[in-house]
Amino acid sequence: MAAASPLDFDSGKAESNEASSKWLDAHYDPLANIHTFSACLALADLHGDGESKLVVGDLGPGGQQPRLKVLKGPRVLTESPLPELPAAAATFLKDQHEPRTPALALASGPCVYVYKNLRPYFKFSLPQLPANPLEEDLWNQAKEDRIDPVTLKEMLEDIREKAEVPLSVQSLRFLQLELSEMEAFVNQHKSKAIKRQTVITTMTTLKKNLADEDAVSCLVLGTENKELLVLDPEAFTTLATMSLPSVPVFLEVSGQFDVEFRLAAACRNGNIYILRRDSKCPKYCIELSAQPVGLVRVHKVLVVGSNQDSLHGFTHKGKRLWTVQMPAAILTMNLLEQHSRGLQAVMAGLANGEVRIYHDKTLLNVIRTPDAVTSLCFGRFGREDNTLIMTTRGGGLIIKILKRTAVFVEGGGELGPPPAQATKLSVPRKTRLYVDQTLREREAGTAMHRTFQTDLYLLRLRAARAYVQALESSLSPVSATAREPLKLHAVVQGLGPTFKLTLHLQNTSTARPILGLLICFLYNEALYALPRAFFKVPLLVPGLSYPLETFVESLSDKGISDIIKVLVLREG
Amino acid sequence: ALEFPILEKKNWLIHLHYIRKDYEACKAVIKEQLQETQGLCEYAIYVQALIFRLEGNIQESLELFQTCAVLSPQSADNLKQVARSLFLLGKHKAAIEVYNEAAKLNQKDWEICHNLGVCYIYLKQFNKAQDQLHHALHLNRHDLTYIMLGKIHLLAGDLDKAIEIYKKAVEFSPENTELLTTLGLLYLQVGFYKKAFEHLGNALTYDPINYKAILAAGSMMQTHGDFDVALTKYRVIASAVPESPPLWNNIGMCFFGKKKYVAAISCLKRANYLAPFDWKILYNLGLVHLTMQQYASAFHFLSAAINFQPKMGELYMLLAVALTNLEDTENAKRAYAEAVRLDKYNPLVNLNYAVLLYNQGEKRDALAQYQEMEKKVNLLKDSSSLEYDSEMVEMAQKLGAALQVGEALVWTKPVKDPKSKQRTTSTSKAASFQQPLGSNQALGQAMSSAAAYSKLPSVKIMISLGILEQEFKSPSLPLELEPVEACPTEAPAQIREK
Repeated sequence: MAAASPLDFDSGKAESNEASSKWLDAHYDPLANIHTFSACLALADLHGDGESKLVVGDLGPGGQQPRLKVLKGPRVLTESPLPELPAAAATFLKDQHEPRTPALALASGPCVYVYKNLRPYFKFSLPQLPANPLEEDLWNQAKEDRIDPVTLKEMLEDIREKAEVPLSVQSLRFLQLELSEMEAFVNQHKSKAIKRQTVITTMTTLKKNLADEDAVSCLVLGTENKELLVLDPEAFTTLATMSLPSVPVFLEVSGQFDVEFRLAAACRNGNIYILRRDSKCPKYCIELSAQPVGLVRVHKVLVVGSNQDSLHGFTHKGKRLWTVQMPAAILTMNLLEQHSRGLQAVMAGLANGEVRIYHDKTLLNVIRTPDAVTSLCFGRFGREDNTLIMTTRGGGLIIKILKRTAVFVEGGGELGPPPAQATKLSVPRKTRLYVDQTLREREAGTAMHRTFQTDLYLLRLRAARAYVQALESSLSPVSATAREPLKLHAVVQGLGPTFKLTLHLQNTSTARPILGLLICFLYNEALYALPRAFFKVPLLVPGLSYPLETFVESLSDKGISDIIKVLVLREG
Repeated sequence: ALEFPILEKKNWLIHLHYIRKDYEACKAVIKEQLQETQGLCEYAIYVQALIFRLEGNIQESLELFQTCAVLSPQSADNLKQVARSLFLLGKHKAAIEVYNEAAKLNQKDWEICHNLGVCYIYLKQFNKAQDQLHHALHLNRHDLTYIMLGKIHLLAGDLDKAIEIYKKAVEFSPENTELLTTLGLLYLQVGFYKKAFEHLGNALTYDPINYKAILAAGSMMQTHGDFDVALTKYRVIASAVPESPPLWNNIGMCFFGKKKYVAAISCLKRANYLAPFDWKILYNLGLVHLTMQQYASAFHFLSAAINFQPKMGELYMLLAVALTNLEDTENAKRAYAEAVRLDKYNPLVNLNYAVLLYNQGEKRDALAQYQEMEKKVNLLKDSSSLEYDSEMVEMAQKLGAALQVGEALVWTKPVKDPKSKQRTTSTSKAASFQQPLGSNQALGQAMSSAAAYSKLPSVKIMISLGILEQEFKSPSLPLELEPVEACPTEAPAQIREK
C-alpha cells in the first residue's frame, strides 16, 4: 500500500496510479454541470441522519442559472434556484437546541439566506449605508423643485470630487445624462429616498464562545464597502463591525468571538490584514505585491497562494516563513484536515490539472485530474470521513476517498538533484570526414591559407570590376547629388506591342523626405511611344519604394529594340 | 419607479475570475455588469483595464484607467494604475506627475515611492531615484526595491555600494534566489571568490535549476579545474536552456580542459552557431584550433573575433601566433605591434613578440620587447602576488639568456630551443592554461564586458561568462593578415597590388 512506499512522493512518481495511490476513485462525472468556487462548497449533516451532504452554491454555466444544490453521494438530492449568484456557502450550528442539525447560510448579493432542514428559515439583508447628507439635501431640494437640474448636476459633481462618502447610484446615473433628459429623470426619481446598498463578497464562520467541534458559530461577512460584520447566530443582529483598507476577498478566522479571535482578510489590493478581537482596524498587514488567490490557516501558519504561482507561509504577525513555487497558476486552495491522524495540510488546485497537497513547504502528494480543478473541499461526506471533493473547470465533479491506511509522510517530497543532472550532454558528433580534414589542415595549413587568401583577392578584384562596370553602364543608377539619395530600378513587363514599364523609386535617406522631383524618358520616337514622357514624382517618404507605372508601345514591326533612358531630375 | 441595480453586485465574481487568470470568463462578467450599470461600475472598468494591459493593449488600458479616475477621483489606486500604464508606454515624466498626484492621496504607500524611483531611474536622475527607493524601503521592505536600488549603483558603476544593498536584501529575504545569484555575481566581479561561491551555492540549494547561478558557479569550478563537477552542473541547464550560447561555450572549454578537443570544438561551434557575433566564443574557437595546430582555421576565427572586439591585445597576440605558424612573419609582426600597443598588463604579449623578433634575427627589437616584458612583470609583482605559468618563466629565462649572452653563443641553439619548445607547448598548453595569471584576469574581463552588455536590457545582469584562455606560444613562419581590414593595424601592401 501507499504507506509502505516513500518513493511515491517524488514529484515525478506521485501520480495516482492505482496500486500506490493514497486515494480511491469514488466518482467522476465530467458532465455534472457544477460551476462553483471553493467558498461555495460546504459539507454538513443537514438532516441529522448521520450522513453528511454536500452543499453547492452553483453559479450555473456562464454564471447564468444560480442554483443551490445538495448532493448525497453522487446524486443531487435537491436543487432550488437562487435569486442571485452565490458568493459563499457555510454551514453552522445556530443554537443549542436538539436535534443539533446545522443550518446552512448562503451569501448572495446583499443578503444571507439561512436554511434550516433545507427549508428557507431567515433572510438577513445588509443594513443600508448612510447616504451623503449633502447629496440627500440636494435631492430633497429637487423634490420641492427648489433647484434646477443643471445646478443639481454641478453640485453633485462637486460632491463627487471631494466627498469621502461616495454618491448613490441614482446620482451617478443622473450625472451621466444629457441635458435634455435631466428634467424627466429628476421628476421620475425625486420622490425616492437616496439608497446606498452594498453586497457581500465573502463569508466564513467563527465559534461563538466554545472551541468544541459542535459549538454555536457566528457568521462573519466581508462586504464590498470594505467592512467586516460579525452576526449573532440566533438573532442575526450585528455583533461587531470592523473596517478594512480594501475589499475583502478571502477570510480566515480562528478563536472564539466572545474570548479572543484572529481574523485574516485577504483583500483586493493584494494585502492581507490581520485583526484581533479588540481591534476595530487591522493590527498587522502583509503586503504580497501580488493578488492572493487563496488563504488557508494550517495550525498557526497562514498559507497564502499568490497569482504569481507561489505559496507563502506567514505567521499570525505577518512574518514571512517560507515560499514555494508552483509549476502552474493556482486556481483554488482549501484545507485538508485528517482528524484521525491529526494532520492539517493545504490543497492547491493548479491550472495544469494537478492538485498538490503541502504540509508547510513540503509536498505530500500530487493528484492529477483530467481537467483543471476550480474548487476543492475535504471532509466527511456520506459516511466516509476523509473525502475529497473537486469540481473542474468544465463543470465536472470528482470525488475521491482517502484510503484508511494512507499516511502522508513528511519530508517525502524532498527533491534530490534535478533529474536532468543524470542525463548525458548531447555533444554533437563529428564525422570521419571532419577528422580527415583536420589532419589535412595540419599537414597543409599554410598552403590552404595561401590559396584561400589568393582566392579572396581574386574575388574582391572581380567584385570591384563588376562594380565599376555597373557604374559605367549605369545599370544600377546612382544619384548624382548627395542631397537626394535615391534608388531607381526599372522593370519591363508584357509581350508587346504594348509593354508596361514600372519604375521603383526609393528614397534611401534616413529621415528627409524628397519633394519636387521629375521623371523624364529619353527614347527613340520612331520606335516607341509613351503616353507621357515627362511627369512629376510625388513626395518620397524615406524608406518606402514607390512604383511608378507607364505604358510603352512599340511602333516598329521589325522587332528592333532600343534603350529607353530614365532620368530623375530635380525641379528648377 | 424602477429600482437601480447595485453597482458592485458582481465585483467579487469579477475579482475571483481575474485572480484565477480566467480572463475570458472575467470579460464576459464585466461586459454584463457594464451593460447593466451603463458603464458606471468602476471596478469592472478597472479590471477590464488590467486585462487589457496584460494583453498588451496599454493605450486602451490607460484610457479605461482614466475613466476610473474620473468615476472616483479620490482613489489613489486608480491614479497609480494610470501612472503604471503611462510608465509602460515609456512616458516616464507623465507617470511621475501622476504618481506625485497619487502620493498626495496616499502618503504611506511604498509602491508609489518604489515606482517613482523606477521612473527616475529611466530618466537617469539617480539621486532622486535613490531617495524615493530608500523612502519606499523605509515604508515597507520589498525585495524588488532592493533590486532596483542595487541596479542604480550598478548603473553608476559603484560595485561596493551595490554589494552593500544586496547584502541587506539577502538578510531580509534569505531565500530569494535572484538576490543570492546577483550578490554572488557581484562578489565574483570584485574578486571575492569564496563569498561568491557561497552565495551562488545558496541560490542553488533553493533552486537547483537556476540558470544564472549554475553558469556562474560552473565557470568558477572551471577556473579551479573541476571540469567534471562543472560539467555535471551544466547538464542541468543543458536540458532546461539548450540554446544558451554561454553555456555551450563553457561546456566546450570544460572539454578543452579535459583535453577532449574534438568535443570542445563541437560545443564551441554550437555556441558560435547560436551566437555568431560573440567574440568570446570566437576567441575560444581560435584558441582550440591553435592547440589542434589547425592554424588556418584558427586564423579565421581570430580575425572574426577581432572584427567584433578590436580593442583586445590578447586577440592580436593569438592572431600573430597563428600567422607565425602560417609563415607570414610580416603580418605577424604587425599583429604583435598592435597587441603590444593595446595591451598594458600581459607580459606574455611582449615575450611572444620578443621570441619572434629574436627568431627573425632582430635582436635589438627583441631586447626592447624583453625589457618591456620585465617592466610589466615588475608592475604586476608590485600590485598582486600572481603566480606565473612555469613554462612562461622558463621561456623568458631562456630568451633572456640568449639575448644577453650575445650572438657568439650559438645562433642556432636558442632558435631551435623555442621551436622544439613550441611543439611541446602546443600539446601541454591545455594543462597550463588555468594559471591564475590568465584565467582570473580573463574572467574579470569577461565579467566586466558582461556587465557592459547588461546595461542595454533593463533589469538583469546577464552573465555570459566566456572563459578565456591565455596562450603562450613561440613563433614560426609567415603569411598575410587580411580579413582584419577593419582594425587599424594593417593595410598590407599586397592587397592593393593584386
